[in-house]
Amino acid sequence: MSTTLTIAGIVIKDLYRRKDFYVLFVLTALITLVMGSVNLFHDDHIVRYLKEMCLLLIWICSLVIAITTTARQIPMERESRTIFPLLAKPVTRTQVILGKFLGCWLACAITLLVFYLFFGVAAMSKEHQWPLANYFQAMTLHWIMLGVVVSMALVGSLVFSAASANTTICFVVVTFILLLGRHLDKVAMQVPQPASSALEALFFTIPHLEFFDLRDLVVHDWPPVRWLVCLKAIAYASAYAGFFLLAACLLFRRKALT
Amino acid sequence: MTDRNPITLGRPLAARKTHTAQYSLLLLLTICFCLATDLTTWFQNWRGNRAESGNLMAVAMGDARRLFANHFFVKADSYFHSGFYPSIYDNLQSYKTPHIAEDSGAMRGKNTGDETTFLGPSRNWIDRFGRQFFPSVHTHLTEGGANGEQKEAEVREILPWMKLSSDLDPKRVETYSVTAYWLRRMGKTDEAEDFLREGLRENPGNPQLLFDLGRLYSESKNDPVRARNLWEAGLSNLQTATEEQKEQNKFVTEQLLAALAKLEEQADHPGKALALLERLKAISPNPQAITEWINGLNQATNRNAVPVR
Amino acid sequence: MNAALSQDCGLPTPSQATNPDITPSAESILRIENLCVDYRTNTSGSRSSAKRTVDGLNLSVNQGEVFGFLGPNGAGKTTTMNVLLGFINATSGDAYLFGTTVREPIARQRIGYLPELTYYYKFLSAEELLRFYARIFKIPRAETERRIDQVLKLVELEHARKRQIKTYSKGMQQRVGLAQALINDPDLLILDEPTSGLDPIGRMKVREIIQRLKTEGKTVFFSSHELGEVETVCDRVAILDQGRLKLEGRVSDLAEQYRLSLEQLFLKVVGYSPSKPTHLPS
Repeated sequence: MSTTLTIAGIVIKDLYRRKDFYVLFVLTALITLVMGSVNLFHDDHIVRYLKEMCLLLIWICSLVIAITTTARQIPMERESRTIFPLLAKPVTRTQVILGKFLGCWLACAITLLVFYLFFGVAAMSKEHQWPLANYFQAMTLHWIMLGVVVSMALVGSLVFSAASANTTICFVVVTFILLLGRHLDKVAMQVPQPASSALEALFFTIPHLEFFDLRDLVVHDWPPVRWLVCLKAIAYASAYAGFFLLAACLLFRRKALT
Repeated sequence: MTDRNPITLGRPLAARKTHTAQYSLLLLLTICFCLATDLTTWFQNWRGNRAESGNLMAVAMGDARRLFANHFFVKADSYFHSGFYPSIYDNLQSYKTPHIAEDSGAMRGKNTGDETTFLGPSRNWIDRFGRQFFPSVHTHLTEGGANGEQKEAEVREILPWMKLSSDLDPKRVETYSVTAYWLRRMGKTDEAEDFLREGLRENPGNPQLLFDLGRLYSESKNDPVRARNLWEAGLSNLQTATEEQKEQNKFVTEQLLAALAKLEEQADHPGKALALLERLKAISPNPQAITEWINGLNQATNRNAVPVR
Repeated sequence: MNAALSQDCGLPTPSQATNPDITPSAESILRIENLCVDYRTNTSGSRSSAKRTVDGLNLSVNQGEVFGFLGPNGAGKTTTMNVLLGFINATSGDAYLFGTTVREPIARQRIGYLPELTYYYKFLSAEELLRFYARIFKIPRAETERRIDQVLKLVELEHARKRQIKTYSKGMQQRVGLAQALINDPDLLILDEPTSGLDPIGRMKVREIIQRLKTEGKTVFFSSHELGEVETVCDRVAILDQGRLKLEGRVSDLAEQYRLSLEQLFLKVVGYSPSKPTHLPS
């Protein structure tokens, strides 16, 4: 475990020494602050549009960070040949994969913490309340979802030769699932066979990342989701992440290092 | 003795050449600028000023801005329902007219179907599980909102999307009407008036906006004189409209006639009121109600009129 | 085949050249037994064929030795090292480090490896890199700091310990590589072309480090094309050609036996004969 955590530490160090995170955070903060300063009919208490835009930016930025960070881990190690001195140590390939996953996922956690903190402060400045349970729940489920995305991108980095191809495909797949995943079964009912069966199969196969998107509940001040339901969602995500990680470990074991 | 070193001799020459190039470039730019300013005037005189708007965003987006304006109008309705709203894949029979518009009286309602059932029963365990992660209960912001405890002032949350919609498509009149109505309900009468006047600047003489402005003066500012003037202006604009425009503005015509009739009734001008009501009865989809109103008015003024069937 | 080739060169077979006093034993730090490695290559057409890069290699290195692993380009040296380090699996045969099969990660606990091309995490400083590798070896924190100071002093990188590796020159990167190979105080060092790309001063320093390690009782297994260096520092050498072991023995014994320099012996073993000089047209 300590080897895995050590490798994870390097990934986190890489993230905060790159500019990506800072640029995205500053961009998010700037856009949110500009939007928050708009005078809307002399009413200072309008806040939901700000929450929605800020959360949208947070989701976009977190996906960018998660996917781009993960997609370049293994390809970068192979291209820069840093994988050789690493594997020359008493480290297994499985530990490398798990270390990379943990590092990227923990990096996402740090990112989300900073972004959601900013979001909370920005929202509180207008609505003068802080629904801690809602925000904590939203952030936790968001982080869990990113675990699935990270594991998916890790498998992709072993399947696709170019990091850019993996990044693009991951973005397309994740966006597709978030926007349309919930509706695939409805669409399946409206199209003829065999497309109907294919869509139905796809609906039951894909990880439904939209379960973890609590933006509407947070924006419109709905009560928090029941914690038992959250636990079930976390178990659901863990199953998918575990499956992708297992696939990644098996693929990496057989992969040539050059 | 002069320095005959070719290297040192060359330096002032190179510097002179660089300066000459820079001055030539500057001169060329100046000439081009002067030509451009002169030619622009000539070109505009020849082709006319083709600029349609000073708003860069409006020009850049082209006709797509109307799509976005509609989208944001619907988004405001979604906010009115605290996020519980059908997607493009759901049954929209109960959401044909946005409720914010129907409640405000700016549009005639066309909604059929049950507002709470557009999702339908759960199709499978994923659908059933997933409904716990997004709003799945029908509410209005005016009726307690998401947790049942929100005050009506939360309706303010629809305003940013309405503003954005009006910025993108200033020709969409109902945006101004609906927004003004909700602003009035929030007690923001001045803001409502400013917004309606902004709408009138973009749509001069629009009868719907004149009606809404008149309603504002009548109900919120207690100024029936101005209200009457505005409503009469609206009616006269409608009379000069084409048949097609009259058909499109049938709803607002009814509203203007009804409002004026009520005003005249309150001002104790039954004759004028009756004349207006007769005109209203001819175009109203519910002439029976108008008839009852006329009869009531006649009775109130003790006229010897035969009850009209 | 091996014997025939060797005899064609007028050289004894590898078994004859091996010093009878040194036999593979339980004291062998490194032991390779009948190692064969095949690579799949895609030929022009749709069929892929297997290319044998290491063919029946038998080798052992004893504790405290400095062993030179020689051969022309494409002989199979790097492939053999890749098997020893667990980067690739052998097609047949096996290799052992400290009596443990190389397939087990624990076999690498007591080794240090310097690759030919030294690339490390550019966003880390030398100190951070060494600390990272030390953590992988599970070296206690106090011991880690002590060793970092020690190896950085040894490779003369103290002045640049806090600078990111991306600011280092090639020579400095090579020295960082050496430092990370030594961080766990290994009993066996595997060096792949350790002086590649270094200036004469750098090469001298590497030689000094190897000799110093030898006096400390460490075992060094390295490949190099600098035969002059090999002659100076190595106790025993093995010459590989086309995946097969051609010659193995003590440097001094081979020099005495054949009365050739190591370079001349190398050329003879690999079957290189210099062509007659041709006169350039006037």
